[in-house]
Amino acid sequence: MTLTKSKQDVALIAHLLRRAGFGATPDELDAAVEMGYEATLERLLNPVDDVELPLDLIRRYFVDQSDLRNQQACAAHWMYQLVHTKTPLREKMCLFWHRVFATGASKLIQGRVVLNQIDMFRKYGMGSFDELLLQLSKDPSMLMWLDNQDNHAHSINENYGREILELFAMGVGNYTEDDIKECARAFTGWRVVNPDYMSIKMRNNTARPYGYISWQFEYDDDDHDHGEKTLLGQTGDWNGDDAVDIICRNEATPRFIARHLYHFFVADEPGVPQWPHVEPRDPEAIQAMVDAYFESDYSIAEMLRTLFTSDFFKDESARYARIKSPAEMVVGTLRLAGGLEVPSQEAYAAAATCANMGQALLNPPSVEGWQGGEEWINTGAYLQRVNFASATLDDPEKPGVRAIIDRVKTSVGGGELTPEQLVDRLLEVLGPLETSDSTRQGLINFAAKHRDISFADDESIANAEKAIVSVVGLIVATQEYQTV
Amino acid sequence: MVTKTKFGIRYLDTIGFNADQGGRGFHLPTDMVIRDDGVIFVVSRSNTVALNIVGIQMSRLNHEFLGQIGGYGREMGDMIGPTALALDAEDNLYLADEVLQRITVYNRNGDPRSMWGTVGDGDGEFDGPSDMVFDADDNMLLVDHKNHRVQKLTKDGEYIDKFGSYGNGEGEFNLPWGIALDPDGNVCVADWRNDRIQRLTPDGEFLASYGSSGDGDGEFNRPSSVGVDSDGNIYVADWGNQRVQVLDSEGNFLVNLKGEATLGKWAVEYLDSQQDEFRARSTFEPYFEVDTDDKNEIAARIEPYFWDPVTVALDKENRSYVLETGRHRFQVYERVA
Repeated sequence: MTLTKSKQDVALIAHLLRRAGFGATPDELDAAVEMGYEATLERLLNPVDDVELPLDLIRRYFVDQSDLRNQQACAAHWMYQLVHTKTPLREKMCLFWHRVFATGASKLIQGRVVLNQIDMFRKYGMGSFDELLLQLSKDPSMLMWLDNQDNHAHSINENYGREILELFAMGVGNYTEDDIKECARAFTGWRVVNPDYMSIKMRNNTARPYGYISWQFEYDDDDHDHGEKTLLGQTGDWNGDDAVDIICRNEATPRFIARHLYHFFVADEPGVPQWPHVEPRDPEAIQAMVDAYFESDYSIAEMLRTLFTSDFFKDESARYARIKSPAEMVVGTLRLAGGLEVPSQEAYAAAATCANMGQALLNPPSVEGWQGGEEWINTGAYLQRVNFASATLDDPEKPGVRAIIDRVKTSVGGGELTPEQLVDRLLEVLGPLETSDSTRQGLINFAAKHRDISFADDESIANAEKAIVSVVGLIVATQEYQTV
Repeated sequence: MVTKTKFGIRYLDTIGFNADQGGRGFHLPTDMVIRDDGVIFVVSRSNTVALNIVGIQMSRLNHEFLGQIGGYGREMGDMIGPTALALDAEDNLYLADEVLQRITVYNRNGDPRSMWGTVGDGDGEFDGPSDMVFDADDNMLLVDHKNHRVQKLTKDGEYIDKFGSYGNGEGEFNLPWGIALDPDGNVCVADWRNDRIQRLTPDGEFLASYGSSGDGDGEFNRPSSVGVDSDGNIYVADWGNQRVQVLDSEGNFLVNLKGEATLGKWAVEYLDSQQDEFRARSTFEPYFEVDTDDKNEIAARIEPYFWDPVTVALDKENRSYVLETGRHRFQVYERVA
């Protein structure tokens, strides 16, 4: 039995698919509406098999997709996955952790290890936070990014010890300078295999003589400080896994992660450096996620379930209230168009566009990642967005665009559509997208150039397809399309 | 009863260097061929951020570097997506380019002499030339891989014959890649996406198929190249398995090679000039126990192993040369009794 869903139901599920994924094609939205909000959310939270990309073809035709040394090749590699994934929340969480645990290929001389880190996020990013933090602490790209190969038993390097407390798990104000030192001591001996040679190659920015060598985690007990340490009030002969355990038990940790989740999925928070001085927008929302964390043995998935089932997420005021990140914009538009050819140069172009808009995947500007929000938009970036979206959807032969045309055609039947009806129909198919009255009127004025739309004969069909493609091109140029 | 020569093979040398800023070495090479006078031609495809190394580099087994032919571009003699090299009986050098969809011919001195090619699936047209070899009549057998066939052409590209079509049956191909002739003039093709080697008569009649999908002995994962020595032993670049397999003349498994590169002259001279890297290299342990089953990742971690062994070329002394795209070098092996 097919249930009839209200417009409000459809709008709510579309909101979920935009925030917990990259939006939906008309068919995907129909399927989700049919399943209902709760079942759709469960599917997002419990990802199973993902699409298998033809890596053999990708590697054969683009040799740098084998080597995966430079950031551009790696970003293109991830772009295929982002555009074709059938587990969008998992991929979105990869973007989330990539922002929080920002690690950049430019310092590391090889993009491949950062891609390996993304693989790790794919595997652990929705599980228990303590396991994720442990894996992060063993992640070769993170260890080298924050110089932990220089963190020795008798000569500590505080970088990782500091950032795991400040930027990755707890936030400023929840630990002392002594905690940083003690935490660093706990991670002495955590390094990559062949640390001296790998460090020199990285410092010299060289892949000579025979290309780079991908890194592997190694623990050197002889280089670990086995002395007593006091971390966050707990005293013992702590090693790195003990430090992770102590950090994850501290209430500041889920509070910090919850605020990041709120910022990423619900509404913009100020920059992380301001968090010690500015209360969260919605302290109750943060507390609800903190409670979920402790009730579920630190489960990120449970924090997400709390978020996506809450009123603060579902509320109409939360919809279209955030500016799309470049990755959301590029990936969402490509998915709407029906995907990327695999393999193709398009993946490189998409990754480059994303970088030009301010988000170079696998190469965040610093260890603090991207702040996002209004920082995504400036005149140049906005123009990039409009041009990219319009150009991507300006082809009636692309499967996604064809699906949009077919939707309109089916709804028309043998009749006609006025410009006003065409705009409303397309806004519904593309979202449903809510626009201001002035935006809608502008679209209608534009559509009126094509007069009424019908599919009665070949000439009318050609005109209708042209009209649909051009109106779609203008809709994706609106301010509303830049929000999520 | 057939008496077979006992097969043995051992590592001899490594030649190469990551020349991602140009100069002596290679960058993401895709094919190689050895002239009878010992000149070794390697073509570097490189990537978009290192275009000055795109070209054909010449060297010798004694590590002498002889220079480069061609560069990145569309002019005659240049290239964008080089895939394959071959030599005819007069030592003219042929380069296939799958982006420009053309064959470029250089004379013995390396000067570009002509270029030809028309994209399509008609007779004499091709789509994605991936490898070439010259037969006893000095005609070219060209792997026209996106048309899933082999075409026989004159040295000027005139159509003579063709065989193969898309499929996985006998004599059919799925995106074939490499090609070689056995001592009897039969044709061996690396039937890339069918994970097998096919042997056909010079006229394209099916003779035998070796291998199936997998990573066991005699199994393949996307074989990219095939070479045959004077005894008929078949060397397969088992690209997706990051290894080289050698089969006997009847297609029976003989041995697997996974690579054991050492520092060649160019690498040593580089390290000698970089004292900090030289010192750090003294503590370097190239072999270690890996914590992954991912063959591509293992190849990226263990420097002596093959990383994307794309081509196996043989010289007249039955030495085999394994060209590695990911490591910008080739490893040389020799037959032993």
